[in-house]
Amino acid sequence: MNRSGVARWYPYLFILPSFVLLLALIIYPTFFVISNSFYFWNLQTSAVPLQYVGLGNFELVFTVTPFVDSLRNTLVIAFAGTFVEFWLGMGIALLLSTGVRGIGIFRALLIMPITIAPVVTGFLFRYMYYREGGLITWLLLQIGVPVSERGLLGEESTALASVLFADVWQWTPFAALLLYAGLLSISDEVREAARVDGAAGWALFWRITLPLVRPTAAIFIMLRFMQLFNMFDLVLVLTRGGPGTSSRTLAYNLYLEGLVNYNIGIAAAMTVLIVIIVTLLINVYIRFAFSDWDW
Amino acid sequence: MSTQTGLSRRQFLQATAGGAALLGLAGCVAPVALPVQNSSGAGAAAKAVDEIRVLVVGDPFQFALEKIIGSFTEQTGVKVNLESLSYDALNARLAASFVSGSSDADVVTVDQMWNSQYYDNQWIVALDDFIKRDADINLGDFIPEVLYSLNTWRGHVVTLPIAAYAQGTMYRTDVFDTLGLTPPPKNAASAGDWTWDTYMDQVKQINGQKVGDTSIYGTVVCGSQPVPIVHMYSQLGASYGARWFKQFPAAPWDFTPTINSPENLAALKAYKSLYEMSPAEAINYVWFDAGTRFSQGDIGMFYWWTPYFYLVKNSGYMTGEKAKTIDLYDVGMLPKAAGRDPLVSLGGWSLGMPSSTDKKQAAWDFIKWATGAAAQKQMALVPDYNYQFSDFARQSLYQDAEIKAIYPYLDVQLELMHQGDGKLVRPPMPIYTSMEGIYGLNLNQVISGAVTPEVGLQTTDTLFTNVLKGNFMVPYQMESYDDTLANTEKLLASLGA
Repeated sequence: MNRSGVARWYPYLFILPSFVLLLALIIYPTFFVISNSFYFWNLQTSAVPLQYVGLGNFELVFTVTPFVDSLRNTLVIAFAGTFVEFWLGMGIALLLSTGVRGIGIFRALLIMPITIAPVVTGFLFRYMYYREGGLITWLLLQIGVPVSERGLLGEESTALASVLFADVWQWTPFAALLLYAGLLSISDEVREAARVDGAAGWALFWRITLPLVRPTAAIFIMLRFMQLFNMFDLVLVLTRGGPGTSSRTLAYNLYLEGLVNYNIGIAAAMTVLIVIIVTLLINVYIRFAFSDWDW
Repeated sequence: MSTQTGLSRRQFLQATAGGAALLGLAGCVAPVALPVQNSSGAGAAAKAVDEIRVLVVGDPFQFALEKIIGSFTEQTGVKVNLESLSYDALNARLAASFVSGSSDADVVTVDQMWNSQYYDNQWIVALDDFIKRDADINLGDFIPEVLYSLNTWRGHVVTLPIAAYAQGTMYRTDVFDTLGLTPPPKNAASAGDWTWDTYMDQVKQINGQKVGDTSIYGTVVCGSQPVPIVHMYSQLGASYGARWFKQFPAAPWDFTPTINSPENLAALKAYKSLYEMSPAEAINYVWFDAGTRFSQGDIGMFYWWTPYFYLVKNSGYMTGEKAKTIDLYDVGMLPKAAGRDPLVSLGGWSLGMPSSTDKKQAAWDFIKWATGAAAQKQMALVPDYNYQFSDFARQSLYQDAEIKAIYPYLDVQLELMHQGDGKLVRPPMPIYTSMEGIYGLNLNQVISGAVTPEVGLQTTDTLFTNVLKGNFMVPYQMESYDDTLANTEKLLASLGA
């Protein structure tokens, strides 16, 4: 082969390592999971898959695991968490963009919660939620909010919200910083022109600022929604999915089935269902949020 | 010169699709079966070994073992790399290493509930050949009920116990004196009238009373799902006559669920009553939370694993700081259900040998040493943390005067061990972990008030049936083994006990 014949392969050789990684870490495992979802494979009884069961595992996902409860909790966390973190983050971002004196220190402090590992955040909030001596419990009682004798994490009506609150505390600063960057990209002249035309306050924000920060917001919402959809660590540390199934998420349900019960077949089927659900939701979102984007 | 590359986009995409399809086919092919382990390796020539890796769980025995591990090295010249993990992390790591066939440790801690999974999958080797070969293991010194409950599976000794637990009663002597209550009995002979009804009556009498300046709860329970609540509740349920399955572990095995029974319903209502006389936050209590709460001084009486006989001497887990109630408590026998024989849950931790280790002789030497009477006594005499180890599986240690001076309750503990049947209380069947998850979840929902006991047991029964059928356990098609204490004693006799 002459030199030009060899040289034409160079581009493919350079992307080959990435390609191999893509195949090995994403495509092969995907086929492996899909395949196992149709086989009975429980590591508690056998080291290898035993027999083909068709859609049996998918049926068992609904009949032996609280999949529906987990899905409901996950959707609540994903939608509510994204909504709260976005609007709180937007509020903080707007404050940051006022340029008030001393805001720089506040901007630096905002980064701190994001740098803490979620598991550590979970332990911090676990102590703060203690019924006796927990800081958050004490604060709530001080302002007249009743707290069950079981504590916030021990009551079905407050466990999920308590988990979500810990996540909001940790990730709202991320929203604020991202949206702040988006606000900085808006030219002052645009706002000035809007003010000259009589826009102010809420109208200025809703009709000028928000549409212009929409690309950043759209990306943030998609990222946070997917991250919240996969919430696991806070649930593990704070409630282990309890009381009952009141705070069990899909990720925690999957962990229990795959890594505690070692039911690989059912876990694989659950994974396939989760991927389908997430794909549907994200596709709907992309059509809605990015419909007018010039790709 | 042409600047175009010779490979077209179509060709590139075709090559990519072909590669992806090949990998996909590879993913769809069933994995190759693991190699069959032919022997325990007891007769193999010893390989020169200078270090072994030991994986243990972070229970009290681990702290004592760490303090004396140097003795093993002095005796054998073999260094021990001891690593401790939490329960979940240990099981996950062991399963991952066994499935991948990688040798992650030479000696591992095994929970009795994992015996069926680990041995049937040939992840651990049976110790029969080692035991037969080494008479100095003194097999006859082990409490037979302990070996039966913790260490045998399908007619083999698969592990040896390093820490054996029964369940017993702990109570506040000052509370009982103040209220004029009869303390729990200290031996089986005087425990004829010591029933769960009597226990419940005493808890009711204690609940809400003030002793000194402290308002006392009747008791404390563990409510956290799935595992802690099953550990505590299954004891009560089994005492009342509740059984998980139609026939197990005696042959022929029939895993038809019998969890929704009148006996279990009565027990569950009793447990719910006990929760109502506990601190409300007990709904989330794991093992140590219940013990820590007792040592904090506002609990009158509770029942739990026998390590708590010494753990409640401290104000917190392995802190060494003496509890204010250290001189104000005593222990007693576990109650029984009226009209039934006493039945005590046996649990604890054992040491097993992975089939993947190539240091089997050194691993056996460690197992023999760590479960031997000399090392166990050394562990008991470790003064750190205020003497926190008395989980003996060997009968001789219960007669040792030096140990009894530190742990004066050993007579009670030995009687509890002899009343034990761990396999009946928590059946170590192949998919036990899945069953425990379902059971614990529903028990938690019952005591939290989310569902009634009737609905909780019905739901448990339905889910048990679904899981058992989905895992081809009902009807059970594999070979059963007549797993009884009598057959275990015959096995031990054949191994030299």
